Amino acid sequence: MEIIVCLKQVVDPELPARDFAIDPATRRQVREGRPLVISTYDENALEVALQLKDRVGGKVTALTLGPQGVAGDAIRLALAMGADEAVAVDDPHGVGLLGVEKARVLTAAIRRIGRFDLVLCGCESADWVERVVGPLLAEALAAACVTFVSRIEQTNGGLLVRRMADEGFHQLEVRLPAVLSVTSDETNRPRLPKVKDIMTARRKPVQVWPMADLSGTPADGDAPGVEVRDVALPERTARCEFLPGDAAAQVAALTQRLRDLKLL
Amino acid sequence: MEITLLRGAAVLLLLAVAAGIAVRKLLLIYRLIRLGSGPVPLAPIGVRLRDLVVQVLAHSKVLRRPASGILHFFIFWGFLVLLSTIVQAFGEAFVPGWTLPVVGAAPWFAFLQDVFIVLVLVGIGIALWLRLAVRPKRLAGQDPVGAYMILGLITGIMVTLLLSRGTAIVLDAPRWAAGAEVSRVVAGWFAGAARGTVGVVAAVSWWAHLLIILYFLTWIPEGKHLHLITLVPNILLRKARPRGALALLDVEHADRLGASRVEHFTWKDNLDVFACMECGRCTEVCPANSTGKELDPRRLHTDLRKQLTKVGPALLAGAGDVPRPALVGEVFSEAFLWQCLTCGACVEECPATNEHIDKIVEMRRHLAMEEARVPETMADALRSLEARGHPFRGAGLARDAWADGVAVKRLPAGERAEWLLWVGCAAALNERNHAPLQALVRLLQAARLDVGILGDEEACTGDPARRMGNEYLFQTLARQNIETLTGYGVTKIVTLCPHCYNTLRHEYPQLGGRYEVWHHTQLLARLIDEGRIKPGGAVASTITFHDPCYLGRHNGEYDAPRRVLGAIPGAKTVEMAQCRERSFCCGAGGGLYWLEDRVGQRVSHVRTSHVAATGAQVVATACPFCMLMLEDAAAATESTARPLDVAELLDRSLAEERH
Amino acid sequence: MTGICIIAGALDGKLSRSSLELIGGARMLQGPLGQEVAAVLLGHGPGLAEAAADLHRHGVGRVYRCDHPLLTAGQTDAVLVAGEQVVRRTGPEVVLIAADTVGRELAPRLAYRLRAALATECVELGVEDGAIVVRRQVYGGRALATLVVRTRPAVLSVKPHALDVPQPAPVAGTVEDVSVAIDAGALPTRVREVLREQAELGLEDAQIVIGGGRGLGGPEGFALLAELAKQLGGAVGASRPPTDAGWVPVNWQIGQTGKTIRPALYIAVGISGATQHIAGVTGSRTIVAINRDPEAPIFSSAHLGIVGDYREVVPALIAKVKELKGA
Repeated sequence: MEIIVCLKQVVDPELPARDFAIDPATRRQVREGRPLVISTYDENALEVALQLKDRVGGKVTALTLGPQGVAGDAIRLALAMGADEAVAVDDPHGVGLLGVEKARVLTAAIRRIGRFDLVLCGCESADWVERVVGPLLAEALAAACVTFVSRIEQTNGGLLVRRMADEGFHQLEVRLPAVLSVTSDETNRPRLPKVKDIMTARRKPVQVWPMADLSGTPADGDAPGVEVRDVALPERTARCEFLPGDAAAQVAALTQRLRDLKLL
Repeated sequence: MEITLLRGAAVLLLLAVAAGIAVRKLLLIYRLIRLGSGPVPLAPIGVRLRDLVVQVLAHSKVLRRPASGILHFFIFWGFLVLLSTIVQAFGEAFVPGWTLPVVGAAPWFAFLQDVFIVLVLVGIGIALWLRLAVRPKRLAGQDPVGAYMILGLITGIMVTLLLSRGTAIVLDAPRWAAGAEVSRVVAGWFAGAARGTVGVVAAVSWWAHLLIILYFLTWIPEGKHLHLITLVPNILLRKARPRGALALLDVEHADRLGASRVEHFTWKDNLDVFACMECGRCTEVCPANSTGKELDPRRLHTDLRKQLTKVGPALLAGAGDVPRPALVGEVFSEAFLWQCLTCGACVEECPATNEHIDKIVEMRRHLAMEEARVPETMADALRSLEARGHPFRGAGLARDAWADGVAVKRLPAGERAEWLLWVGCAAALNERNHAPLQALVRLLQAARLDVGILGDEEACTGDPARRMGNEYLFQTLARQNIETLTGYGVTKIVTLCPHCYNTLRHEYPQLGGRYEVWHHTQLLARLIDEGRIKPGGAVASTITFHDPCYLGRHNGEYDAPRRVLGAIPGAKTVEMAQCRERSFCCGAGGGLYWLEDRVGQRVSHVRTSHVAATGAQVVATACPFCMLMLEDAAAATESTARPLDVAELLDRSLAEERH
Repeated sequence: MTGICIIAGALDGKLSRSSLELIGGARMLQGPLGQEVAAVLLGHGPGLAEAAADLHRHGVGRVYRCDHPLLTAGQTDAVLVAGEQVVRRTGPEVVLIAADTVGRELAPRLAYRLRAALATECVELGVEDGAIVVRRQVYGGRALATLVVRTRPAVLSVKPHALDVPQPAPVAGTVEDVSVAIDAGALPTRVREVLREQAELGLEDAQIVIGGGRGLGGPEGFALLAELAKQLGGAVGASRPPTDAGWVPVNWQIGQTGKTIRPALYIAVGISGATQHIAGVTGSRTIVAINRDPEAPIFSSAHLGIVGDYREVVPALIAKVKELKGA
C-alpha cells in the first residue's frame, strides 16, 4: 500500500506557561528558541502508517510543510521510525497559514508525489486544532474521508476502520483511495526508533520543494475567507479558586464555572 | 630404591594425566574468555596490587559475613600453608620421608602445619553448620553436589594427611614430630598396633592423599572452585573505570550496540563469570531481589557461564551460529533486565570484584538501541529527553522556576561566576526539591561563594538515558552540555544531585568534558571546616542519613554529609543498620524512577521501614531522587519521619541563628 | 444568498442536543445581520416529526426536513450529499454545523464544495461592525483566537457545549419535506457497526477525566465517580494508591509512571496531589480538586478547589449535572 503521512512540526505543547507567548505581528505563538516536536496526533498517524506497512507491505512517504532547517527534525524522526521517503515543502515564512491554505499546498504536493492509496494525518494539530486538513485533502483528492480513526485493517476492496465517536466507536468500511485523520489509541503509540535507523536516516535523501512551486494551482487559488484578527491569552490566576459554602453551594458554584468554561 | 622409583614414576604419570586433564579444561576456559571483546583498559597497577593484598590475602570482603569469612580464611590460609605438605607428599613418591629443605624437618614448621590442619577442619565444621543448621538463603541457590563435593574432598585431604603424618611418626619417628602436636595424637591411636598394620595404613593414606589431590586438580575447572585459579587474575586485571562510570561505546562505528549474545561481552566480563564463586552475597544484598523481584545478580553470572560453556566451544570450532535460547528474552527475561537499580550493592559485596552492572547495561543497550524495546513509561521519559531535554513529562515548569526571586547569577544573561551550580532535572522540575535548592544557594552565598546557574541552557546530563541503555541519546545530551559548559568557560561545578555529580565528574571526561565537580555535601563540609559557614541555632531532631547510591557506593563519599549533619547543633544522628556501603537503594536508580514498582514490595517502602526502625524524626537525604522516593513512600506508608535534604537542615540552623 | 442555516442532526432518530445549541448561535447572528434562521433537519424515521416540532419550539420557523434511510449515525458521506443538495437549494449566507462526530467531517467538506469560508470549533459567535466574528480556542486552550469572516457563504462549526441551549421561544413553523438523491453505491464509506456500549473511553482520549485517590477510602468510592463520569461523558482514572490497593485496575493509573492525560477537565477526588501524579495531568486545561484537607498539595495545581467530603460533594454534583442536562 502506498501511504503518505502528513506531519506538522509545532512548538512543544508541554512548554512551561512562562515560555508561552504570542507574537502580535504574526498573531501566532513565538517559536524562536522553543523546542519543536511533531504534532502529537501526527505521530500516531505515522505509527499507524508504519504498522500497516509492516502488515501488508508497501511504502510510507512522510510529508511536511514548514520552514526548512526546522522541518528537518520532524522528517528525520519520521525516516528513523521507518518512513521510506520524505518530502519537505519549504515555506520560508514559516507560520500563519490556516488549515485551508495548508490543505491546498499539501494537495499540490501529494499530486506531485504521485500515486497513493492512503493519506494519513493527525485528527487535529496540537497548536491550531482546526481539524480541517484531513477532510479538505479528501475533497481535493476525491478520496474517501473518515476522521478520528484509531485503528485500520486492510480488507478485500478497501479498509475497515474504527472511528472514535461521541458515544463510542463506529466501525466503517472505506474504499481506497482514502484520507484518514488519526487519533491516539493504546495500539498506536509511536515507536521508539532504533539507533541504527536514526543514523541511517541522517543520510537518507529528503526532497525539498519550495512552496512557491506548488501553490497557486488554478481553481484553488482564492484567499481563505477568514482572517485572524488577534490571539489573546485569557486572564488566568495562578492561585486555586476555592469555592465557598456547603456542599450544595460549592456544587452550584462549580457547575456555573464549568458552564462558563464551556465544559458543561 | 627400586620400589620408590617405580612409585615415583607412577605418581608422575598420574600427575601428568591429571594435570593434562586440568590444563585442557583450563585452556578451553581461557579460549572461552578470549571470545570476549577487548581492549579493556586496566586500573593502575598500584590499585590492583592493593586489592590483591586486601581482598585476597586479608579477605576483606569475605569477612563481612563473619562465619563464612572465618571459615574461608582458615581454609584459604590453610591451603597455602599446607601446600608444603602436598609438595612433601609428592616428594615422598621418590624419596620416602622427604621433607622440604630447611623448614621441612623443623618442629616449629610441623606445628604450624598441624595448626592449620586443625583450622581447616574447623572451617569445614563451620561450613557444615552453615549449610545444615543455619541454611542462609544465598546458599540455597548453589549447586549442592559441588558444594558438598568440595567439603568432602578437603576433608578427605586433611584426614589422609593426618593419617599419613600420624603413621609416619609411629614408623619413622621423624625430627619434626616434636612439634607436630596434633599428628602425635593421631600417632597415639596406632600406639599398640602392629608395625605391618601401621605400614598398610600409611601407604593407603598416602596414596589416598595423592589421588584425592590429583582428582581435585582435574575437578577445579568444573564448578565454582575454578575461582582458585581465576580469582587472582580477575583482581589483577581490574578495569580502569571509576566505579560509577559506564563504558563508552562508539555508537557511530560499532558493529553492534550492546549484547544480545553471550559472545558479545568483553573478555573481562567472561573472566568475571569464571571467577564467580556462586556465594550469592550479591543476590542477598540486591534491593530488587530482596523485595521479591526476578532479578538475581548471581544468576546473571552463573547463567552467563552456563551459556558460554554450552555455546562457546562450537563457536570456537568455527560454527557460524549455534541454536540456543535468546540471551535477552529467554535466558534473562526483559523484566529481569529492567529491574536493576544500578545501585552497586552487588558490586560492593562481591568478593571476586565482579561487575554486575556492566553486563546488565550491555543487555539494556541492545534492547534500547537495537530493538528500541523499552518499558512504556521509560520510553516516554526517553522521548521527553529527546524532545525537550529532560525526562519529566508533564512537569510544566521552567528550569529556573525554583530561582524566581532568588538572587543568583545567570550565565545566559552574560553574567559570570567562579562556581556553576548544576541544578539537574530532578531538582529543577519537581517542586519538592526547590526548597533544598534555595537553601543551598543561601548557604553558598552565606559563605560568599560566587555562584551562577545555566537556567534554560542546562539540559539533562543524560544519566537516565545511559542507565536505560540508550547510549546514543546520552552522548547527544552530553556533547550538547559539554559545548555549553565550554562556551561559558566553566571549570568548577557544584551539584545537588549525585547522579549529575557522577556523570559530570566521571563520565563527561570520556567525551572531553573535564571539570572539577563537587557534590553539595562535600562543598558544605569543606566550607564548614574552613569556617566560612558557621552553623548557628539548634535543630533539635533525631536524624538518620540515607546514603545515596551514587554518592556513597559509586563514589565512596560517606563522610561529607555526616560531617555536615554533625556540625548542626542539637541534631542527634542515628545510623540505620543498612548504612554506608550497605545502604539500601531508594528505588529510583537505573532509570527506574520511571518504572512503576509493582512486583513484590516496593523498594522505597522497604527503605522507609529501615528509617522507621531507627525512630528518627528526620531522614536526611542528599539526592533529589531519594527525596522524591522517600517523600512518596512516607506518604504511602504513613511514616512519621520527614525527609529533608542536608542543605535544608543546615540552612535551618543558620536561619535559627538569624532570629 | 440569504439566511442563516442550521444543520440539525437527527441521525439517531431524535434531535441532537448540539443542534439546539446551534440555535443559540444563530440567534446571536440573526438580529445584527438581519437574516432569517432556517434549519435543515437530516435523519430518518418517525422521530423527525418531533425533532421538527422541537426546532419550532426553540424559535426556528422554517424547517427543511430530509428523511432518508441512509441518514443514520456516522454516515457522513450520505449527510454530506444530502446536506449539499438542500443547502444549494436554499442558498443561505451562513451555515452552522455542530462539531460532533459527523459535523467535524461535514463542515470542512461542505465548505470545500460550496467554496465557502470556513471556521471550525468555534466557542463564540457574534457580529462586530457588520462582520461575523468567531472565537476559537488554540494552543491547547492557552489562548483564544478571534477570526473575522470575510466572505460568503460561510460555514461555521460550533464546539459542542460551547453555546447554551437557548430558552424556548415557540413559533408557528413550517416543515418542508425535501427529497434528496443519494446513490448508496457511490458512497465511499459505510458504517458497518455502531458500538455504543463501549463506554470505557480511553483515559488518554477523554475530554473529561475524573481521578480517584486514596481519599476515597475503598473501591466503592469509584462507583460514585463512574456515575459522575457517565453524567459528564468522561472517563475515570486513579492515582497510584487505589491501583496498589487493587481497588481499580492497574491501567487506570495516571502519573509519571502511568498514563499522561490532556483532558479539557480533570476532577481530582480524594487525591493528595503528589508530584508524580500531577505530572500526568498538567496538560489538563482545567483542574478541579475535591479533598477534605485544605492543605493538600493538589490545591496548588488546581484551578478550582472544593474543600469537603467527596461523599457529600460528588452526589450533589451528580444531581446538579443531571438537573442541568434535563433542562
